[in-house]
Amino acid sequence: MSVDTVARSDFRSARRSWVVLGVVVAFVGMVALVFLGSSSVHPEPVRTTWGFSALVVWVFPLLIAPLTYLAIAGDRERGSIKYHLGLPNSRGEYFFAKYVSRTGVATAAMAIGVLVAVVVATVTYDSAPDPGRFLTFGALSVLFALAFAGVFVAVSAAVTTRSRAMFGVFGAYFLLSAFWVGFLPVLNLGTVLDAVASIPGVSVSDSARAIVGSLSPAGAYFNLLPELVWSDVLTDYDTFATFADRPDYLGYEAWFNLLVLGVWTVGAPLVGYLRFRSAELG
Amino acid sequence: MSAVSTEGLTKRFGDETAVDGLDLDVPEGEVFGFLGPNGAGKSTTISMLLGFLEPTAGSATVLGTDVTEDPRAVRERVGLLPEGFDGVPNLSAREHVQTAIETKGADDDPDTVIERVGLDPDDARRPADEYSTGMFQRMALAVALVGDPDLLVLDEPSAGLDPNGVRLVREIVEEERERGATVFFSSHILDEVERVSDRVGILQDGELTAVNSVENLRAELGMGAVVEATVDEVPDEFAADGTLAAVDGVTDVTVAESTVSVSCASPRAKMPALREIDRAATVEDVAIEETSLEDLFEAYTGGQGGPASESRPGTGGDPVGSEAGSAGQEVATDGGVHR
Repeated sequence: MSVDTVARSDFRSARRSWVVLGVVVAFVGMVALVFLGSSSVHPEPVRTTWGFSALVVWVFPLLIAPLTYLAIAGDRERGSIKYHLGLPNSRGEYFFAKYVSRTGVATAAMAIGVLVAVVVATVTYDSAPDPGRFLTFGALSVLFALAFAGVFVAVSAAVTTRSRAMFGVFGAYFLLSAFWVGFLPVLNLGTVLDAVASIPGVSVSDSARAIVGSLSPAGAYFNLLPELVWSDVLTDYDTFATFADRPDYLGYEAWFNLLVLGVWTVGAPLVGYLRFRSAELG
Repeated sequence: MSAVSTEGLTKRFGDETAVDGLDLDVPEGEVFGFLGPNGAGKSTTISMLLGFLEPTAGSATVLGTDVTEDPRAVRERVGLLPEGFDGVPNLSAREHVQTAIETKGADDDPDTVIERVGLDPDDARRPADEYSTGMFQRMALAVALVGDPDLLVLDEPSAGLDPNGVRLVREIVEEERERGATVFFSSHILDEVERVSDRVGILQDGELTAVNSVENLRAELGMGAVVEATVDEVPDEFAADGTLAAVDGVTDVTVAESTVSVSCASPRAKMPALREIDRAATVEDVAIEETSLEDLFEAYTGGQGGPASESRPGTGGDPVGSEAGSAGQEVATDGGVHR
């Protein structure tokens, strides 16, 4: 089974470079700090999933970037791709093995982070974490991790050099997370939509804005949390209250946002593979 | 059946033609030396044979399989030592070989393969990133040998190897030939190609300028051998228009002090030339130097303006430019006739 063989050797290689340990330790450390730091402020651990979700969207992609951006582009530039493809591995098997190995580490890091959050919350908070809520939160976060790591591996498969892979990966992060969700005050999706709406004769309705806003993995993830994780506590905290009276737009529907995450999870690697399948590997 | 067969195989990168209408036929069991200066298109050709590059035109059939249709099936039966080989970071030579064994479903013992290429067993368990070029090349060779491939494709197998390593490559090629494998290898180390190849193909600017056995190529160019004799006194017979030059098969006579050098187009011309020298003067010493493939190579590829190693489009990162990675193995251009 050559997917298995390539994936194992790739994982072994990544593990020995300490990048795997680095990513997991850095992320888990941050999660633990967030939960410890909030334990004296908020009695309920659910409130801290708000901070956790910010960590997931803003920090986690940056942490897994070094883990993923060289997955295939690095092999191409080094020449080790000829080691793998000189053996009887098809390009599809090679790509899939790389995808499995790198996204495996990313999703494992996320899962461990959620697990540590639950442990820290159980020990330090006044009320124990709700297992069902954290399970849902963990599943959504792992899905986000899978989608984003998949985008990064796809970028790595679609470009020819390390530098392009780095630009591509950070470009994807800034576009899909920072820009889309509006982390940057002036340069974000909202201002662009405002600009479009200011063109005479064009109007962008709020429901259309909701749909566009949900189309990135980060947007979809943030839309899913109030629907599936915080739905019963929306009025308990000011932070969550903004989601309490959201209109019934399609862009806020859980199924729609899950679909978006699913499309990113499947679609990005597929596009990356299709680019890679016909790539010149001279 | 042919092990390697190409018809009109062409590869263009933009406006640059890296390989131009290559027609090759390497029968099974043959050792074929693929020669050419840097940038001639050797590695590009090999990349097309393995399915790394898509031909712009023409076809390549390896062991009866069209490479563009099923590159994986080709790789099942081929052992590849790629040019500019690099391994998986942090893995040892033994792990590289073990992975190759698993992928090929072979039953080789990794330690046996490693021993065969002369890698120290302790070194073989260290990460390959720490290896010298020579050790790295031995590891690459070990990977290529896994699973007793029907066709060995070796791109610059001697690059970075010391003389012992070069000899080892030669021995392995001979062992593989004994086993019945076809060996297709490119090299700048012409002496080595000369010793093991049944036939050589000379590639220049993407075109095959000659394919033949080394002897036939020599004969074709009239550069069979040079007979050198040191004599006590140089007689008139050795003049350019003298009787020595008139011997059948002699193409050139030059005299430097007391040494007369006679170029012979064919092996048969050597004895008559020697007899003529012996008749006209007292011979104190004699030496016969076969024209090396280097001279042959130069005759085909040199003299066409400067070093024939002008690089192809976009050196650095570019697939073809990567051939420059084998610097240090440049074709000797001193023109020296060597044994």
